[in-house]
Formats: sequence, C-alpha cells, structure tokens
Amino acid sequence: MRINDRVFGMLMLILAVAYGWEATQFPIPFGGHESVGPETFPIMLSIILGISSIYMIVRPDPDEKWAPVAMLIELSVVVLAMLAFAWAIEPIGFMPAAALVVSFLSWRMGASIAKSFITGVTSSIIIFFLFNNVLELALPLGLLEF
Amino acid sequence: MDTMSLLMNGFAVALTPESIMFAVIGAILGTLIGALPGLGPANGVAILIPLAFSLGLSPTSSLILLTSVYAGAMYGGRISSILLNIPGDEPAMMTCLDGYPMALKGKAAEALAISAIASFIGSFIATIGLVILAPILAKFALKFGPAEYFALFALAFATLGGITGKNQFKTLMAAAIGLMIASVGIDISTGVQRFTFNTLELFEGVDFIIAIVGLFAISELLFFLERHAGDGLKQVAINKLKLSPKDIIKVLPASFRGAVLGFVAGVLPGAGASLGSFISYTLEKRVSDKDGTFGKGDARGVAAPEAGNNGAASGALVPMLTLGVPGSGTTAVLLAMLISLNISPGPMLFQQNADLVWGVIAAMFVGNLVLLLLNIPMVGIFVRLLSIPPKYLMPVVTLIASVGIYSVSHSALDLYFMVGFGVLGYIFRKVDIPLVPIILGMLLGPEMEKSLRHALVLSDGDWTALFNSGLSMGLWTVAILGLVLPIIVGPIVRAKMSKSKAATKED
Repeated sequence: MRINDRVFGMLMLILAVAYGWEATQFPIPFGGHESVGPETFPIMLSIILGISSIYMIVRPDPDEKWAPVAMLIELSVVVLAMLAFAWAIEPIGFMPAAALVVSFLSWRMGASIAKSFITGVTSSIIIFFLFNNVLELALPLGLLEF
Repeated sequence: MDTMSLLMNGFAVALTPESIMFAVIGAILGTLIGALPGLGPANGVAILIPLAFSLGLSPTSSLILLTSVYAGAMYGGRISSILLNIPGDEPAMMTCLDGYPMALKGKAAEALAISAIASFIGSFIATIGLVILAPILAKFALKFGPAEYFALFALAFATLGGITGKNQFKTLMAAAIGLMIASVGIDISTGVQRFTFNTLELFEGVDFIIAIVGLFAISELLFFLERHAGDGLKQVAINKLKLSPKDIIKVLPASFRGAVLGFVAGVLPGAGASLGSFISYTLEKRVSDKDGTFGKGDARGVAAPEAGNNGAASGALVPMLTLGVPGSGTTAVLLAMLISLNISPGPMLFQQNADLVWGVIAAMFVGNLVLLLLNIPMVGIFVRLLSIPPKYLMPVVTLIASVGIYSVSHSALDLYFMVGFGVLGYIFRKVDIPLVPIILGMLLGPEMEKSLRHALVLSDGDWTALFNSGLSMGLWTVAILGLVLPIIVGPIVRAKMSKSKAATKED
C-alpha cells in the first residue's frame, strides 16, 4: 500500500497553494514596493513545497503501518489527557494535575494501577519541590493554596 | 600564539567552580539521556533548553551545561549498545557490533571501560581539531556576503539528509515546512503581518523551543505507547572489571584512527556522527582484522566506532559555531539554544563573544575529563538507572519537559502548542518526513530570508547576484551535489551498513 504518502502529499500540496496564495495577498508595505517584498521568500517556499508534494504523490514510498484503530483511539485519549493537564495546571494546581497525568500515562504504558499511582504522586511531589524550592521556579499550587 | 592565549582565557572561564559544577551536572544528565533507548541526544538537549532558559542561567553556563549534555549523550549511547544490543542513539549503532558480543562473553565491564577510554580519546582529539580549525574557518567565513550566506543555508538543507538519506524530496519538504513555520509573524524588515490571521499570539511567531520539545519528546512518547515498549529490555549482567594496561595500549591505535576520521566526518556537511562511526569501524576492520575476530567481540571494534562518533560529535560543532549552520539534529538544537540566548552564531561569534566561545571549548576539555572519570568507576550506577522500565520513566520525562515549557512564560497556551506539535511530529514520522530539517528551517528561516533580501537589495533585484562570486558558485555546487549524490550513492552505502550488521548477527 502506498496511500500514506499520496494523502499526505495531497494535503501538503493544498497547504503549498493556500500558503502561496495567501502570500500574494499581503498588503503593500509602507514605503512602497521593493525588489524583494515580504512575499518573495514565502512564494519560493510554496513552490518548493509544491514540487516535493507532487513528487510524493507521483512516487510514494511504501507505507509504514498505522496502528490499529483501538490504538489510535488510545493515543488520542493520551493526547487529550495531556491537553487536560495543560488546562488544569493553573486552576487545579501543579501537583494534583501532574500526579494524575503521570499516573495515567504510566498506567497506559503497562504499569499496574498501584505502581503507576505511586510513580505519579512521588514524581509530582519531587518535581514540585525541586522546582519551587531548589530551582526557584514557581509552579501554581492551585487547590492546595490556602 | 593567539589561539593559545584565547584558549587559556577560556580555561579561566571553564575552571571557575560554577562552570565545573554545570559541566558535571551536564555530564551526568547527558550520560543518562544517551543511555536510555529512545531518548536520543537531540531529545534530551531539547528538554533541557527551556529549563536552562527559565532558570536564567548566563549564556556561558547554559552552553557549558548543554554541550556537556551533548558530549555525555555520546558517552551514554554506548552503554545500551553494549548491554542491550540496542543503540541508545543512532551513531552508537556500530558499537553494538563488537560491544554486545564482548558482553555476551562476560566482558561487559571491559567493553564499557574500553569504549569510555576510546570516547575520551575521540572527543579529546576532535576538540583539539576544533581549536585549530574553528578560528581559521571563522576568519574565512568573514568573506561571506549575503549571497554566499544564502547559498550556505541552501547547502545546509541540501546536505542534511546526509549521504544515507532515503528520500531527498522528503528532506526538502521538511525544510520547506520548517521555513514556512518560521515565516509566521510580523515581518522584521517591513512590519507586514504574515500568516497571523490577526491572532495576537501569532504576532511574534511560533516559538521554536516549544516546537522542538513537542516534535521530539511528545511524539516519542506516543511511539512508545504504540509499540507497547513500556517494559524495557533484558540486559546482559555486568562483571567485575579486569583491565590491564596492555589491553588499553592495544586499542590506542584504533582509537586514534577512529577519532581523526570521526572528526573529519563531523566537520563535513551531510556526514555526521553516524557516518563517522561507520567509516571508523569499517576502516579499522580493514586495517587490523587479521584473524577475523571483528564482530565476535574484538576490543578494537568497540574502540574505533566509539572514538569515531565522539570525534564526529565535536567536529559537528565546527560548522555550527563558525558558520551558524549545524550539521546534525543535536547541533541544530544547540543552535536553538544560542539563538534563544540572543547570541547569533557565525564568524562574528569568535570576535564578539570570544569569552563565551573559548569558555565553552575549554569546558569541553573539562567535561570530557569529567566524563571519563564518571564513566569508569560509576558505570554501575548508570547501568542500574538504565534498568528502570520506560513505563515509569517516560511519563516523568514528559512531565519534566512540560514543566520546562510552562516555566518559560507561565502560559498553558504554550503547552497546548507543545502537544499539538507532538501530534504533528507523530504524523510526520509515520510518513517518514524527517524532523531535523523542520527544526532547522524554523531556526534558520529568518536569517535565510534576511540574507536573500540583502543580496537582492544590493544587486537592485537582479537574481543572478546570488550566483555571482566563485565562492557562492562553489557552495551551490556542493549543495546540488549534496541533494543529488544520495540518490545515487545512498542505496549502496545503506546496503553496506545493513550488510555488515547482518553479517555479524549471523556469526
């Protein structure tokens, strides 16, 4: 199967065209035209990207296997967990958020629930104190702030 | 001699207690990073940049820290090659060939010690090479005008895939993507907004440190999950060290040859540490394999590639420091560090920031010695850490990476971007788009565009000015060769590399 490269090449071709078109729409800079404007370099780039994506569509490499759907769903859940961590770090606080995300990740990587929980809690506490007290980089306390 | 006195000043910087402390910390961290399979040197340095940045370290201290990490990673890569038969990073691949058989014969400790000595020789000789060559190259590079710089940047991208590069169009595509990301934001020379879609957060462009950590570290985590590689691998037990001076003397010639070859491979564009260790190994095999012991645990087969890859690692710093054009992934990440510290690398670096450059070079000597001392008696500790399964380690590493990114500007938005780049990196790797040219594009984009503009403004819009001087023609020729040669030579070299690997496996 050589679908991956074809699809990706197609996407990149669209990007190249969109990027190049957008570059031609730049407003004329203050002081009028020069031989090289803000659009010159981007247009060159869109040509290079266009050529290489056409090559990719015409002569694709063999596919690297995608993970089965179940794994892709799992990876998406992991990505969501990291985004949730990013969101939670301020309102909830670094320590609980980090403990949760690290436990979750190491559980998903195959550690037992108890061990991953221990990893999460100890690592988040150690890193919190390392950063806050030794390296003096303030991390948000969140809910633990009294 | 001028260089000598500058180097002495450098040692004055490098031997302050603070610098020594950072060199030691960097050496330890680097060895760890190199030893853990999957956490390559580029990855490790990338995670540490935001930390060094938000700790507010001085440029000299951060660079000493990170170059020691870089050097340490090259030392560390050999540990997993020898004990697990899995290279901790790509250049350490050739060390597997004789290192693992030695370990199987119950000589793991000797293999580790010999490779540490060879690594030391490799780095030491290459650092001397750096001291001699860098100022010469920097002086020469002062002749470069904007047109030459533009050609030089093109050369850097063209040769980045290396002789062994598989698909040159994918390298080109990756470079274009990186340069495109770099073009987002307010154009420096005209003030025109480009691709910002009127979003305030995009006015300053995309922060490449966030992109680097996302592309390398987060995508690595996703790959680990996918491969169910959480449990780690079985390693060979380590024995008590019995090393006589005779054993060391026996590997010295191999180490010296490896070091010199590695250095040359490191300096040349497009070669890099992997090729350095490959050439050193094959040459050593040709020179000294008279009884057919190579591949079955010959100590010289451990020493040559180790000296080679450490030599290449220091050699790769020559183009990075003098021209501002890195030749490998890790040096690209080190360049990111320099740029984020507001130091522009290139020939002027040696004049404007002489203290810093020579301090760092001297620190490389110091760090190298520290690494040798660390690696012989303390190798057991590193081995024990290596046996922590990735399922505990990777989540914690990811956490440290996120904390680093978060503490740069205390914004959750940066973390969203980091995760986004992680997903992108995962997709890129699935379709075999190399990540290093993307990073390099993001780093060099602004400079490359600036030199194009200067060249064309000077020539009043005449595009032939880009090819006007002999120097720029030469650079363009090398660039085109770098792009075209791998298509012809690449398959042959790759076949040879896998053949020599397969041949040793059969034995």
